[in-house]
Formats: sequence, C-alpha cells, structure tokens
Amino acid sequence: MSDAILEVDGVEKRYGGVRAIDGASLAVERGSITALIGPNGAGKSTLFDVVSGFERADGGAIKLDGRSIYRLPAYAIARRGLVRTFQMTKTLNVMSVLDNMLLASPDHPGERLSTWIVRPWAGRRRERDARARALHLLEAFELAAHARAYAGTLSGGQRKLLELARALMLAPRLVLLDEPLAGVNPTLGRRLLEHIEELRRDEGTTLLFVEHDMEVVMNHSDHVIVMAQGRVIAEGSADEVRRNETVVEAYLGKVVVA
Amino acid sequence: MSAISPETTHDENLGAERVPTALLVVVGAMVAAAVVLAITQGAQELAQATINGLVSGSYFALGAAGLTLVYGVLKLVNFAHGEFLTFGAYMAIFAQSAFGFPLALALPFAFVTTAALALGLEAVMWRPMRRKGAGVLQLLLMALGLAFVLRNVIQLVAGTEVRKLSANVTSSVTFGGLHIGRTELWVVIVAFAALIALALMLGHTRLGTHIRALSDNAELAETTGLDTGRIIVYTWILAGGLAGLAGVVYGASIGVITPNLGFGIVLSIFAAAIIGGIGDAYGALAGGMLIGLVQEWSTLVFPVNLKVAVGFGAMILVLVLRPQGIFGRARTAGR
Amino acid sequence: MIAITFHFLTAADFWIGVGVLAATYGIFALGLQLNVGTTGITNFGQAGFMAVGAYTMGILVAKQGWSWWWAMPAAIAASMLAAVIVGLPSLRLRADYFAITTLAFAEIVRYLADNERDLTEGSQGLLGYNSDWFKLSLRLGDWLNGHGVHVTSFLFPLLLVSWGVLLVLTLLVALVVRTPWGRVLRAIREDEDAARALGKNTLAYKLQSLALAAALAAIAGFVLALNLTLLVPDEFDPVFTIFGFVIVILGGLGSYVGVILGSVILMTVLEGTRYVELPLSSDKVAAIRFIIVGLVLILLMAFRPQGILGSKQEMLLGE
Repeated sequence: MSDAILEVDGVEKRYGGVRAIDGASLAVERGSITALIGPNGAGKSTLFDVVSGFERADGGAIKLDGRSIYRLPAYAIARRGLVRTFQMTKTLNVMSVLDNMLLASPDHPGERLSTWIVRPWAGRRRERDARARALHLLEAFELAAHARAYAGTLSGGQRKLLELARALMLAPRLVLLDEPLAGVNPTLGRRLLEHIEELRRDEGTTLLFVEHDMEVVMNHSDHVIVMAQGRVIAEGSADEVRRNETVVEAYLGKVVVA
Repeated sequence: MSAISPETTHDENLGAERVPTALLVVVGAMVAAAVVLAITQGAQELAQATINGLVSGSYFALGAAGLTLVYGVLKLVNFAHGEFLTFGAYMAIFAQSAFGFPLALALPFAFVTTAALALGLEAVMWRPMRRKGAGVLQLLLMALGLAFVLRNVIQLVAGTEVRKLSANVTSSVTFGGLHIGRTELWVVIVAFAALIALALMLGHTRLGTHIRALSDNAELAETTGLDTGRIIVYTWILAGGLAGLAGVVYGASIGVITPNLGFGIVLSIFAAAIIGGIGDAYGALAGGMLIGLVQEWSTLVFPVNLKVAVGFGAMILVLVLRPQGIFGRARTAGR
Repeated sequence: MIAITFHFLTAADFWIGVGVLAATYGIFALGLQLNVGTTGITNFGQAGFMAVGAYTMGILVAKQGWSWWWAMPAAIAASMLAAVIVGLPSLRLRADYFAITTLAFAEIVRYLADNERDLTEGSQGLLGYNSDWFKLSLRLGDWLNGHGVHVTSFLFPLLLVSWGVLLVLTLLVALVVRTPWGRVLRAIREDEDAARALGKNTLAYKLQSLALAAALAAIAGFVLALNLTLLVPDEFDPVFTIFGFVIVILGGLGSYVGVILGSVILMTVLEGTRYVELPLSSDKVAAIRFIIVGLVLILLMAFRPQGILGSKQEMLLGE
C-alpha cells in the first residue's frame, strides 16, 4: 500500500441546489507530483478550496498525513503543512517582494504584539533569520534583484514564481498549485516546472496541481487524477489515463488528447 | 443523479414557489414569541403592539425596498438613502404650503421630486465614479459624505424648526378595544399599495425581470444583451421615488419633521433590508415588517426608548446566524 | 453681505482651542487609520468606543469615587472589551455589513447614554470627574509660569498634555505598524485570503486592530471630557466618526503623520469658519460648515483619494 499524504473520501460541496463536488474520493501519494485534470466545471478548483479550508465541505472526510483537516479553518491547514497557490495570483502588490516573503515566515514571534512589549529581541532575531531564508529562496527563483520592488511591478509570470517561493517559506509538505502555468510565458513556465521537480527531489515535497496544458501533464506528472461533474472518474499514470474511454468521453470535443 | 456544472449556478427557483426554510423558521420564532408575550403581557397589549408594529413595518419596508433595489443592481450600499426620505417629506411640505396641494397630491409630488434627486446624483456622482472603477471603501465614504451634505443642505434651506404635514393626526379608528390613528391607517394603506405595486412590477413586467436578473448575476445578465444603463436609471427612479413616499408616510405618521428625519430611521431601514436579504425586494417587505414588529413588541418588555436598539440587536443576530438574510442566497460558486 | 473678521487668527485662545480639538480628533483618528488605512476594516463605530471610554471614566470617578488614575486604565479596558464583543460576531462579515454593524453599535451606546439617566445623567450632563485633572493642571500652570512661560489660558496645560499624548501615541502606533505584526495587518488589508493561505489567523489580528483603535478612542474621549468638563451623549454623534474619516483621508490613507496634519487642518477650518459672519441663523451657519466637511470628503474620495501624504502609486497598485 502506498503512503498517502492526502486522503479525500466522499467529499461533498453544494451551492444552493447545485452539487459542485458530488462524492469525490482520491489519495495523493507522498513525494509524488500529481496532476488533477478534468473539463471545465468538473469541480477541481472547488476541491482545492475545500481541501485547503477556503470553502466548507458539506460531507465526507479529508486527512493530511493521517490527521483530519475536515472543516478546519484555512490558516490552521496552512500551519499543518498544506499550502496552496491561487488561480488569480495572490501576491501582495502594494508590498515589496521581500515583504511578501517575510510575511510567510511561520511561527514568527514578531507577529505577536506581546513580543514587542516583553521580548523585542526575539522578534528582531527571527526577522533576521527570515530575511536570510527569504533572500536565499528569492535567489533560487531568480527574483533576488527585485527584492525591494513593489510586487505589483513584476510581470505575471514573475508573480507566479513569487507566489510559489513565498509558499515555500512555510516549508510545506504538500503544495496545491492552482493552474500554475496559466498566463505564463514558456521560459518562465519551464523555470517553474524545474523548481517543482527540484522541490520534490531535494525536499521530498508532494505537489498536486491543476492544469489544462496536457503536454505539461503528460511529461511532468507521476500520477494523474481525472475529475468530471464533481467526482473522480479515473486515475493512474499519464498514459493509462489518456487511453481511458471514460476520460475521453468526459473531454469529448473539449481537448484533443495528443 | 447527475451534478450540474457549477457554471450554471443560476437558481431556477426565482418565483413565488420558493419559500425559504429561513422564512419559515423566522415566522415560527415570531409566532412563538407572540404566544409568550400574549401570555405574559396580555393579549390586548400584544394586539395593540402588533398594530403599531405593522404601521412602522410598512414604512420600514417602503424605505428598505428602495435601498435594496439599488444594492441589488449596483452593489452600492447607499448610506444617503435616509436623506431621500427626508427630502421627500420636505417636498411634500413644500407642495402643501406653496401650491396648497392636499396630501393625496403631495405624495406623487414627493415621489417625482425625490426620484429626480436620485437620478441627478447618479448622473453627477455615481456613474462617473463607476467609470473610474472606484473601490468599495471609496464609494462607502462618498455615500457617507453625501448623506452628510444632503442632510445639512436641507437644514440650510429649511431650517431646524419642526414642521408638520397637514394631516389628521388626532382622530383614530377603534375596533375591539384597539385603536389605530386615521393617519396611521392611511400610512399602512399607502405603503402596502406601493409595495404591492412594486412586487407586481418586479414579478410581471419586463423591467422587473431585468432588474431581478441584474441583481442576481450582473455578468450573466450583461452577456444576454441587457441595457444595463437604462435599468440603472429606472432603478434609481424607483428607489428615490419609493424613499420619497416612505418619507412622507413616516413624517405623517410621527407628525414631527426635521432634517434628521431620515437619518433617525435609516439604520432600522438598513436592518430591514439586511434581514430580508439585501438585494431582494421581497426580502425588504419581510424584513420591514419583522423589524417593525420586533421593535413594537419589545416595548412590552423593555423601556420604549430602547426599541430601536432592540431592532439593531435583531439585525446583528441575523447577520451572525445567516449573513445573507432570509431571502438571500449563499455565495455561489464562481468556477 | 459677508463679513469675515480675521482678528481671531491672532488670538491665542482660538489656537489653543483648535489645538486641543486637533489633539482630541488626532488621537481618535489614529485608531481609524489603524483600522481602515492599515488593516482595511471599515470601523464606523469609533465614536461609540470613545463614548464608552469617556463615560466609563466619568462614571467611575464622579459616581463611584474612583481615583482618576485608576479610572482611566479601567475605561480603556472597557472600550477594548466592547471592541471584542462587537468584533467577534461582525468581523467575519463583508466590509459594508461590518460598517453598518459598528454604526449600529455606536448608536446603541448613544441611546443608552441618553436613556440610562441614573448612570449617565443623560442630556443633563455628567459632571464632577475632573477635579484630579484640575489640580494637576494648576500645578502644571504654576510650573510653567515659574519657568517664564506666561500662561494666559486655562486650557493651556491641557493643550500641552494632549499634544504630548498625541505625539507619543503617533510614534508608538507608527512603530508598531512597522513590525511583523503590522505587516500581517497590511497584508489583511490588501488580500485577506492570501494571509490566511499563509497560516495567519486573520480574525484574531482584526480583533486586535479594532481593540487598539477602541483604546485610542477612549483616550481621545478623556481629552474631550476634560476639555468640555461635562459629558453629554450628543458629543458622541456619528458625525465625529465622519470627521475622523475626513482627517484620515485628508492626511493620506496609511500615513500616521498625515493624521496629525489632517486633524490640524480640519479643526482649523471647522473652528475658523465659526467666525465667518453671515446673515443667517446659527443653525444654518452650522449647516454650511458641515456641508463643507461633507463636500471635502466626497471630493477627496473622487479626486485625491490618497490625500496629502498618501502615495498615488500605492493607491493604483492596490486596485
């Protein structure tokens, strides 16, 4: 039995009378790079929202590393090691690139008001450490030159890189990437993919991403999960999935699977 | 049992067949409260308070209807709405003193003039700000500033002395030991007539359907080729007109008209709109009645001066338990 | 015919009066700046927190015989508690609903102040809380006289103390906003979901911001109470929250130094326009002054939302 870092079991999410997620079950293997695909409206992003705590599930079970994270608030899930990025990149544009990174520093005593009254040196010390780690990460992502610039002045692709680098400040065990390559030029896109592979190789981080670009899915994922109409309809290796008739039907007319 | 794609989240149950469970819960709670009050405070007292509640509920509903229409179509929380009521009341006074209009004519005069004011503000302030892409905070603060300006302009022009509409405030109609003032009876009739007309318009005319479509899902509605500009104009006409009517009706009911008239009840009107589900006109009716009844019933138990505070308390309670209000829909999926 | 006498501009009493008001509303607006300019929460109830602070202090001293020095921290605590009670249910709501809820809270406080006459003396006015301050003020006046500063006005010591408090508080708040704690607040303002996704309990931070603003409002309430020597509910009308917002916007959203600038400008204009002699009754003149304030707010939001010291680039990037 493989070792699942994320287990989703029979999760449901309703909006009014509509079932966006209708009993979805999946498992993400630790240390894998898994792609979540499916036609528009399949419920992929909604599933991300539910798993990461941004939407409240209406039923089912969700476990991270064997511990339930069902209906936990989003910030608590992030603290447990599950970090996500967003389809519409959420970098803080009015803050500097460096500040974006520093914000993500976990368990920072300086973020508690009481620290500044009782032991301000602890706050200052952690800030120095965070700064060093942030610059290190920014260098890895080739953004160090922009450290002091407003994040809003970066290009769209650079902001996606920043969002990923920022997420890494939390040393997550599982990263959920919501369409990481959307709107990114091919060069930066390749960089992003390289970083993803490095992460898995060097840190053992598990990655789950939603993508529409089939070439990326075919060549860069170990495992593919297919959703349609709020449910998981198939999973397996990229090759297996591509030959699966149910999958082809779900996509009929929408995407040509090469 | 197939799931529909979240893209088509438009709730088909838009019509009268939909009775939200929330409404049933609220009605149930009200009935239970009524029974308790009847037993502890006396059925006669409860009945009189209920009549008073229906009177105030009707002008709250009238005020809330305009507010909620503007919110639904424009997503704008118009803090200056209370001033529309004040303006309407003063226009009625003006019509009576300058032209000698009877109250029956002063009403449509107030409707028309307040609608004109609302349209003027849309042209001069709201539309240019929308074109500029103004943010929520900007609009909120502008509305606040506008409320301030309008109230003080009225004070500048008309002064602070108390005025009255010439209406028969002393005689009352009695039945079964309960009384309702003639003016107040008239208030309820006018308000209900206006609200019924509004409900019919919204449910059965093309404009009404367009307004509801726009309130429900602006993006979807625009793609179907609706002339949003025109609908916005009509919405302001309705909102301003109804608010003007509400002002006259409220002023006639309490008998005392000052520049603070609208501001004094604007929070209760907000409470009514929010409780009903802001953006939903039927909600304004329900919410208005609810706030009116809650306020008047509370006088059986709490000091009279605190009834408005009790109304706010009810609003806060609803916001905590069900932020979308009775008729409102929970946030729908975007993807 | 409009007669404007400029004689007032040289009168020390005028400037001392403006100065005390500017300090009062400056401290008040510091809290609003923390809420709206830094954290992005639209607190329309600041006048209510000010009332809780001022009345708690007044009641404890005048009616319960507390020492003024103990009543003040107790009053600040009461204000902060009110903030937590109001904030817990409502900070999860959208900005406009939160604004309405805080406004309703402020009105409830005003109603209570007006109606619980046994406690607050209602509109008759609560007196008798300032004897400790009075003694302190005299001692301060004597000390200044002894050092060559000729004190003419009774309010002068209050001017000095209130400005001292304003400057210290501005410094403290500006410093604390620069800490990592303040960074989380600024992140919440721009994109609360991003902060949540990074493990920050945003509700807790918003509550802290509101509570601090309430504490600042309470301190502003003390200055107001000492200035007026009498507390009436009308002094806590929501119009003062509007003044606060004008100050914050005028000085620049996000700028704490701007708050000082904005409050001096606004109070000078408001008090100065009292001296414009128009052939109108006093309530109409008051109306004109308020219309000007309202128009300033509207025009600022329309044409220069970043105020005097705000950054236009930040304004645009944040859209």
